[in-house]
Amino acid sequence: MAVPDGRALLMCMLRITHIAFRVSLVCLLAVLVQGCGLLFDAIELIHPLTSNELDRVCRRQQVQVGMAVEPFRPFVFPAVWTDEGARVTGLDAELIRSITDALTAHCGTPVVPVLHLVRFRDLFLLLNEGQLDFFVSAVAPGIPSPARAGFAYSSPYFFHGGIGAIVKRPDVADQIQSRLKADGTARERLLDGLTMAVQESTAAHLYAEANLKPVRLIVCDSLPAAFEQADSATGQPIDVVIGEQPVLEFMVKTTRRDWRLVTREGNTPLRFTQADYSIVLAEESYKLRWFINQVIFQLTESGRLQTMRQRWLEDSYAYPRRASTEGLSFDVAKMVAHYDQGTCRESKTR
Amino acid sequence: MRLRLLPWLGLLLMGFAPISGLASPPEQLRAEAEETARLLAKLLQSGRLVIEHHQTVIDDPHRGDKGFTPEFFEQQLREEFRQRTGIDLASLSQKPVTFGVPPLARELLPALIEASKEVVRDAQVVINQRGIGYKNFIPATYGSQAAARFSKRSHVQLKQTAIQPRNPKNEADEYESSVLRWLSGRPNGEAYVSELTESGKTLRVMMPIYYLQECLACHGEPKGEWDISGYPREGAREGDLAGAISVRIPLDPKSP
Repeated sequence: MAVPDGRALLMCMLRITHIAFRVSLVCLLAVLVQGCGLLFDAIELIHPLTSNELDRVCRRQQVQVGMAVEPFRPFVFPAVWTDEGARVTGLDAELIRSITDALTAHCGTPVVPVLHLVRFRDLFLLLNEGQLDFFVSAVAPGIPSPARAGFAYSSPYFFHGGIGAIVKRPDVADQIQSRLKADGTARERLLDGLTMAVQESTAAHLYAEANLKPVRLIVCDSLPAAFEQADSATGQPIDVVIGEQPVLEFMVKTTRRDWRLVTREGNTPLRFTQADYSIVLAEESYKLRWFINQVIFQLTESGRLQTMRQRWLEDSYAYPRRASTEGLSFDVAKMVAHYDQGTCRESKTR
Repeated sequence: MRLRLLPWLGLLLMGFAPISGLASPPEQLRAEAEETARLLAKLLQSGRLVIEHHQTVIDDPHRGDKGFTPEFFEQQLREEFRQRTGIDLASLSQKPVTFGVPPLARELLPALIEASKEVVRDAQVVINQRGIGYKNFIPATYGSQAAARFSKRSHVQLKQTAIQPRNPKNEADEYESSVLRWLSGRPNGEAYVSELTESGKTLRVMMPIYYLQECLACHGEPKGEWDISGYPREGAREGDLAGAISVRIPLDPKSP
């Protein structure tokens, strides 16, 4: 059927207007899309669109927890074999059990910890990749280093930690003592000229890189590797080992009695930093962090945290027995095959 | 036949257990079950000895990969078992049933070997740690796990037990306690105890374990002082009764 000319013109104009409207809409959307993330964030704050990490833990009935495979006695002891299979124990393991018990009560279904025993340096990486819900390994929050950016920390579960030092040779101890006695010697200059070992990626390592310039820095894969290097007749001699003071103090009391803590006058341990230890989580794990903070608060208030500290740091015990009775099983498949305490090498950044 | 090494021992216990001998199953069934139980106990004991012989390697802090692989362990286990029983497990499948190893044992011995290898496989991450000396991978902890894994998959129950075990799960039941008490007053030897219980429905066999010189570092003197694993030493002497391997075989195939 033929259409009158005027009407055809009107139809044509309408079509053009329609196309123009569509184009404008697309342009508008393109501009708005850039702010979509912010929009979703804003909506999520008002009404959560997805479940939070705590709900996810409940749904899975598992919590993925990381721990350092390198022993940080008494926080983490070496893995041993027990009547129940491979187990790991220590103050941190007991804390994980307490958190898991609280998760079970919260979720109303049993929640089991799936423990990943990995190298300390890999814990941050795995957390970043979302493979862990959190990790525990005597970690001090607030270490000023790019390597520690983007993580969140729970309330402290261990107080009065920090970086300390141990020495083996009496002449080195005397040298440090005489520097300590001399007025005005800054803490950072106490170890000048000495050869010092640290475990890679730990707070002590980051501290030494940032503050202890005139020392010869030996970076080791683990503390036992530092001791092995120090004992070896062929390797570079090690004058001082610095690390977490409670760990070093425990070692000189139990397994490395040939070493001693560097102390100040009055026999108080010398510390280079003061720190408390916290559980490490992803920055956006708000719900889980609230939950863990609450568990730590309850443990503190009930005195249980103090009891834990006492039984792991001061009581006399042998850890294999504790591993048998209260140790945690771990994911054998994810543990580094043929765990090796590793070796030491001179820092390349100096 | 080794099965009848000390027939008086079995008879003595038969007399002292009130429920024994009420309903005897066919003699052949019992004899087969008894031999199977004896061989299973011997195999677990052999595994314990293999761990014992390699304890120094396992606890060597200077070596990472110890080479104590499941395959190596299996080879050692078969050899130890052959020395103790004269049975070569490798050629068992080629031998006729009349060879002397009952069909039930032919089925269960490989299952126990598999469970034992699994334990060694799972323990690799612990065994191969370098820089760590004592790892608690000892005959007792190997035996507990191997027995538990085997029992889970079989109608035969295998367990290590003692009068005062370190592991509460190895606590002796009433029957085991009475046998252990009876054994502790007697000189050690190659004897084992076999008895029908539950109106003849279950055969129970107990193979005693005696302390060797190597065990005394943890179980010897001074009594009460902690050993390396944190347990008080028992103050035992070489040849004292350490405990027993307890085997429980239902003779009624319908029973669980």
